[in-house]
Formats: sequence, C-alpha cells, structure tokens
Amino acid sequence: MSATALELTGVVKHFPLGSIAKFGKAVHAMDDVSFSLASGGSLALVGESGSGKTTTASVIARLYERDSGDLVVDGEAAKPFRNRAESLAYKKKVQLIFQDPFGSLNPTHTIRSILERPFLIHGLANGRADLDGRLHDILEQVGLSPAKEYLRRFPHELSGGQRQRVNIARTFAVEPSIVLADEPTSMLDVSIRMGIMNMMLDLKEKKGVSYLYITHDLAGARYMCGTIAVMYAGMIMEIGPTDAVIADALHPYVRLLKSASPSPEEGLSRARLQASGEIPSLIEPPSGCRFHPRCPFAEPRCKEAIPELRDLGAGRKVRCILP
Amino acid sequence: MSETMLEVKNLKAGYDTAKGCVRAVDGVSFTLGRGEFLGIAGESGCGKSTLAYAVMRLLRDNARIESGSVLFKGKDFATLPAAQVEAHRWTDMAMVFQSAMNALNPVLSIGAQLTDAVHAHRKVRKAEAEAMAVEMLKLVDINADRLKSYPHQLSGGMKQRVMIAMALILKPELLIMDEPTTALDVVVQRSIIEKIEDLRSRLGFSVIFITHDLSLLVEISDALAIMYAGRIVEYGPARALFSDPRHPYTKGLMNSFPSLSGPITRMGGIEGRAPDLLTPPPGCRFSPRCPYATDSCRSGDGPALRDLGDGRSCACTLEGGLR
Repeated sequence: MSATALELTGVVKHFPLGSIAKFGKAVHAMDDVSFSLASGGSLALVGESGSGKTTTASVIARLYERDSGDLVVDGEAAKPFRNRAESLAYKKKVQLIFQDPFGSLNPTHTIRSILERPFLIHGLANGRADLDGRLHDILEQVGLSPAKEYLRRFPHELSGGQRQRVNIARTFAVEPSIVLADEPTSMLDVSIRMGIMNMMLDLKEKKGVSYLYITHDLAGARYMCGTIAVMYAGMIMEIGPTDAVIADALHPYVRLLKSASPSPEEGLSRARLQASGEIPSLIEPPSGCRFHPRCPFAEPRCKEAIPELRDLGAGRKVRCILP
Repeated sequence: MSETMLEVKNLKAGYDTAKGCVRAVDGVSFTLGRGEFLGIAGESGCGKSTLAYAVMRLLRDNARIESGSVLFKGKDFATLPAAQVEAHRWTDMAMVFQSAMNALNPVLSIGAQLTDAVHAHRKVRKAEAEAMAVEMLKLVDINADRLKSYPHQLSGGMKQRVMIAMALILKPELLIMDEPTTALDVVVQRSIIEKIEDLRSRLGFSVIFITHDLSLLVEISDALAIMYAGRIVEYGPARALFSDPRHPYTKGLMNSFPSLSGPITRMGGIEGRAPDLLTPPPGCRFSPRCPYATDSCRSGDGPALRDLGDGRSCACTLEGGLR
C-alpha cells in the first residue's frame, strides 16, 4: 500500500447537454480538481449543493469516467477497464456510501439478500456457513444485533438510521481501502447522526480505511476529518488542515460559508460577511474566479483568469489572487 | 414577557389511520408573547408540523383536533366554526410552508399568486393588490419586475423569499414557519434568517419557527420548546436551554451537533429511535431511550411539564430535571 491512498490531479468532468438548442454546451461539474488523500487519512469535501461534490465522488468511484486529468489510487493510475475483472478489482478497493438510506436499498429484497451480494459478486465467501458467519460479523460491526433478526427483514421495516447502518455494512463488506461517503448523515434525524458518525470513525480506526467524507456541514467536517477541501462551482477553493482552515479561512467563499454556519456558542451578534447571490450556472460559469460575482473583495483582475490553487505551505492551498 | 398573543392549552390532535388513531400532538401547551420568536424543535414524526397545522386549522381531512384550545385574538381557534377561522387566516396568522419549491403553483406567475392571496381575503382593486405585491417583494429584496416570473425561473432562495412575502402580504400578527430553510444551503439559509429578523423588527409580528436544526434555533429564538413524540418535554429561554439543558432528551440533542470552535470531543447523540405514535410507550415517552430512566418512569401517563422558575419548565420526574 502506498502512503497516498488517492490522488487527483487536474481532474475535469463536464456533462454535455442533450438538447439541440444547447448543442456544444456542457455542465462544468468539475474543473481542475486536485487533491490527495493520505493512506488511513480522512478528507472532508465541503460545498453547497451543485458545487460538484457528488460528481467528484462518482468520478473517483468511476461510476463515470473523467474527461481529463489523472486519478491515482493506491499508487496505480486509473486506466479504462479492459474487462469485468479489472472493474471488480477497482470497486473492491473503492466503495461508496450513498446519501439516501431510503433510496439506496432495494425495497423488495431482504437485508440478507442485499448484504449477500457484495460477497457473492466479489467471491469473498467459502460456502454457505462462511457467508453466514461474515454476514453476522458485518452486521454486528455496524451495531445491528442480533444479526439473525435483521437479516430476514425488509428495508421498510428498519428506521432511517438502521438503513444507513445496512448501507455502511454493505460498503465495508468487501473490505475496501477507500470509502467515499456522500453525505451519509444528512437525511437522518439529528439525534441519530452522531451514532452513525461515531460508528464511521470507529470503523476507520479498526479497518484502517481512508475516508473521503462529503458534507455541506462545516462542523461535521471538523468532527470527522483532519483535512478539508472546500468546493465551489466545480472547483476547489481551499484545502488545508481542518482546524486551520476553519479557524482562519483564507478564501472569501470559505469565510462566507463559515460566517453563515449556525453556531450557537457565538450567537447572532458575530460579524458576518456580506455577500449576495447564489451559486452560478455551471453551464456558462463566470469568467475568471468563479466566486467573483459574489465576492465582496473582488477586483477587476478577478474576472480575467482563473486563479491557480496556490500552495501556502503547512499543507494549505487557496485559489484566490488576493493575499 | 410582553402581552400574550397566542395561548395553546392542552391541545390534542391526531390522524385517523387504518391501524388506529395516531395522536401526533398529545397535550401541548404554550404561550407566545407579542413580537416573540418561539422555536419549536423536534425530530421527524414528533408532531411539530401537526401542531402548526392544528393552530392554523389547516389539518388534513383524516386529522382532527380532539381537545384543548388555541386562544388567539380572544377566540378559541380549536372550536371556532371553519368560516370564522377563514376570516382570521392569512390576515392575522399566516404560514410559510415547508419546501417552498413545491408550495408555489408552477403554472402561475409570482404576481398572480401574491395578488391571489390578497384578493382571497380583502376586497381591493387589482391595482391596489399589485401595489401590495410589489411592496412586499421589495421588502424581501426581490425586484418588482419579477412579478411576471414563474417559479421555475427563480432560485430556491428566491422562491422561499416569495413564500415569506406571500405570508406577510396582509401584515399578520403571527407568522408560523414550518422548516422554512431546510432545503436551502447554509449561505442562503442565513440570508433568509436575516431577512426574517429584519422584517420582524420592522413589522413587529410574532414567529413560531419549526425546525429540526437545533443549532440554528438556539441562535435565533427567544424561547425554545423541545418536542418529543407529540409532547413538549422542555420549554424555556433558548440560551438557557442550550447552556443548561434539564431534560435528558434536550441534553442528548444538544450533544448531537458538533461545534465549529473549541476542542473536538467525542459526542454522544442518543441511542435508539423515536417511538411509533400508534403505540407510544407507557409513562415518559423518552424512557426507552433515556439513560437515567427508572421503573417509575415507565408507567403511568408520563410526567407533565413542571415549572422550574426563570421561565423554564421541564417534563421529567428527576428533581428539577437534570442538574
């Protein structure tokens, strides 16, 4: 295993628009996305809806292929799959946890049949007894016990939190080295979110996996991950150690995000960054810095060229020309 | 506290289903002062939306108010004939519905929908209604030329602001907001919250704000009511509830969202899941999940809200609640 679990360099993903009137146009979902995830590390990808977070996860999971740029997983550059074996081998390494615990489990299958599939598809069990043992293990690990009781149930018989646990069990069934968690708690009730987050932290510790944790919640990112990358309109705006970025955000968008996040400790009185508008269209993204139409500090030169992701040392990078 | 504007006494409301009566609101009492901002927090299925709809007398056909009273403007809205409620609805109390995305009619322009609300309740000329619509749109920072726009031409945040404009167009004294910002991104959510605060200081209406996002509610509310399984379990000034929760459920909730500052400590959340309201547990409804529960908690009718002084009350058998 290499020291870097995952490395993206200048990854681009555009979705061409289907209609004739919009021929030649595309949704710029990911542009020049570069980051790396240390082996056994955790990186939070934070951004608003439509910022390209989920596209990033899907490109890494190779649900669809990137347009350009490099993707290196466990020291191996990702190349087009030549056969099913290669595809399976990749998917055994990189697994996704989906956001919607209600939509991601087939309602007509029992939990047993849902959880059996990864073992059968990847050929991980030696016979019935071994499979049963593994199913029990994996359910116990996600806190669903007695396992026997859960295996014969259907998804609708479980609560949202339990369903998300089944989802996580399915993810960990193939013993992946990288887990991409796409807002795993955003659709759950507040009181059970912590349970899921803590379980994910425990599983990470126990299995030594690396996490790409996608969220829109800065505080949740801080709880879960050592490193944070903030995305806006398909581009990464700032990367760095989570505490440093949250305590002292450099990019105006990250500062805006932070000042908008609820924080009961500080109350309403704290100074807020004023910015108007909403996330821009990704079909015709703004020229230059994608945040400049909303940025309170924007200068004329911000419109001209897309700023580089500047390396500031100490693991911090920011895509802003302002000092 | 200022003069009482709304007094809800021992309100019980439920839904008739094939399996029996689901009492979603079970003996809820609270008062709301003029100009006050009351936050009602609870998880999905705790009855908070049913409470709002019961106060507005907008319950669905299979739901009814069983007993209790809703005193508003010297009348009991729980028993008032529907025609008389009609006279007060929207003119004196209005509502911002959950998910603005679906609450607007997609085939009518914003202007038509805003003036419709005026015409339904007041006898005014068309031009006058239009002038009111323009004035309200200005108040929520939307350009008057948007009157001719259709909902799909507006962003999520703008639609929500149109909903707020529609609720306030007849200058009601009470505004009930049911998860008004849940589907919005944090930056947009923040601008909506600031807008509501600004309008409230200008127009002086009272607000009942319903959400599951406690971190937001603590920041913006004067008073906070925590609902669990159809009952209010704790009530008091928002900051006091945050810094010194007395009910074990409140305590669990406050321990369920990580913070943006300070050391990262392992947070607990709450074990288990909310009960099925078709067959609520005997005694205190939180007792199956409560770490402090004793045998006496699990029998009888469950503790009533007890006054703890300082404007606080708590429904727990523990002496003075948790200390």
